[in-house]
Amino acid sequence: MADAKPLIQVKNLDLYFGAFHALRNVSVDFHAGELVGLVGDNGAGKTTLIRVLCGIHTPTGGEVYFDGERVRAFHPKLAIDQGIETIQQSVGLCDNLSIARNFYLGREPVKRILGIPFLDFAKMRGEAKKVIRAFGLRDNVSVDDEVERLSGGERQSVKIGRAVEFKNRVVIMDEPTNHLSVREREHVNELAVQLRDQGLLVIYITHDIFQVHKLADRIVIMENGEKIEDASTDSMTADELEEVIRQGGRQVEKMEA
Amino acid sequence: MAAASLSGLKPIVRQHSEVGVILIAVLLVIFFVATSGGRWNNSYNISTILQITATLGLMTLGVALVIGTGEIDISVGSTFGIGALIYLYFAIRIDPVFAAMLAVAAGALIGAFNGYLITRTGTPSLIITLGTLMIFRGLAIALTSGFAFSVPYKERDGLTYFILGGENIFRAGSFSGVNTGFLWLIAGLVVLTIALKYTRFGNHLLAVGGSADSAHSRGIRVDRVKIKAFILCGALAGLGGVLEAGKLGSADGSMGRLMELQAIAACVLGGCVLAGGRISLLGALIGVFVLSSIQSYLVVMAVKPQWFMVLLGVIVVAAALGDRKLRHWAVRK
Repeated sequence: MADAKPLIQVKNLDLYFGAFHALRNVSVDFHAGELVGLVGDNGAGKTTLIRVLCGIHTPTGGEVYFDGERVRAFHPKLAIDQGIETIQQSVGLCDNLSIARNFYLGREPVKRILGIPFLDFAKMRGEAKKVIRAFGLRDNVSVDDEVERLSGGERQSVKIGRAVEFKNRVVIMDEPTNHLSVREREHVNELAVQLRDQGLLVIYITHDIFQVHKLADRIVIMENGEKIEDASTDSMTADELEEVIRQGGRQVEKMEA
Repeated sequence: MAAASLSGLKPIVRQHSEVGVILIAVLLVIFFVATSGGRWNNSYNISTILQITATLGLMTLGVALVIGTGEIDISVGSTFGIGALIYLYFAIRIDPVFAAMLAVAAGALIGAFNGYLITRTGTPSLIITLGTLMIFRGLAIALTSGFAFSVPYKERDGLTYFILGGENIFRAGSFSGVNTGFLWLIAGLVVLTIALKYTRFGNHLLAVGGSADSAHSRGIRVDRVKIKAFILCGALAGLGGVLEAGKLGSADGSMGRLMELQAIAACVLGGCVLAGGRISLLGALIGVFVLSSIQSYLVVMAVKPQWFMVLLGVIVVAAALGDRKLRHWAVRK
């Protein structure tokens, strides 16, 4: 199923925000064709870890390898160019711009007129429209509408549609089912499995261990910036994993006290 | 019925933030024409208003772009002065065209300096550009040691002086024409509006102003976008200074003082949101026209000039509040 050689390899990763130690010596491998659930409580370091992988944060120490190559510079542009698409939780959309402009933000297609590259609005609007309709946006929402006017679920749909449209090698989903209805949630989960089946690496972040246990091949649990468990979903049940989260939390508390 | 037709206007107001300032401009013009007894609305005065609009307008275009990124540049008044002085100093000694390019380049350099410091250190742009406002004002006064730089009148002829704001064109009968600086303004407005709406640069600029974090997460180099906006802003202020100097033929160290406040006021009046992400270049220029019109109205009505400052402040506050109300109304479903 998954390749032997990891697509993304994280080695002894450390990240400080000022004095705050956000990631502590994290090592984890991710393979192509694998759906990995990244689980943990609020503040466990899940989002911080994936924000290193998608180039938003630069680690303080440790190494990241992508496709066997050491990653030396961290910037979202570089990650996107490498084929890493991320559905961020709190960022990713500019409220003041239209859906079509947000859809292509950072990778706008251009058409040259007299040698000057102008935005290719026909393509931007056409593609964005096709995708957002497929993701169930209401008919009265136009791709020219500013994102500001969308509901939480609609915003999420735009982000997910965008990531799927531009999917390349890796899709990272940070709490993708927030703000979504039950049906939309199922749709997103099916998508995650589909992407995995197409050979992509899918990293799925959630609080809900029971939900992700059904989808994922492997679960990585984080707690206080550390990885405390990394197990295939065949080898451990969701209940056992939940117990690990409880235990892990307690152990760390003891150590700090 | 009336309410229904009003809500039909909502999409227009929502997408065109300059609607408010156009309304203000129209009402003011009607008021000025009605009350000044021809002292405001005569061809000489209109021509003067357009000339002031041209140089303040170029500066305002730049400030609007910076506001679009969510930053602010209050150093433009000093940049304007430096541009004017550099132009006048080198125009007679070397060549007017070279002098003009040097002045614009100096403006761009000041902008680059602002932008670099702001993005590199993460210091608020208000603080950094307050510093450069004082630095370059001080330099301007020190370099001129209180005297004015000027180009003798007899040397101010030929095409270059004509192009650089030295003359009026479109003279017709009693109408004294439009200063050539105004053409630069129109060119600037057209080019920048197209760049803002139809190019990647414009999309990135507004994205950065809307949400720098989101823009960053989509791979946009936020710092570079901001620095580019500051460079454009400085260059435009420098060009404004050149054209003003070209018009007057002389300048001293205080050239452009307090113009930064008028430029910012014009932006706010024109529907630019100071938090960034939403600007209207046309609106900002109509804002400039409104301010120059009020200023000239006070002059021709022999009102003491200090009242202009008071009025300017009142207008800015009122415009900011009114614009928020208008937008709020338009966004509501």
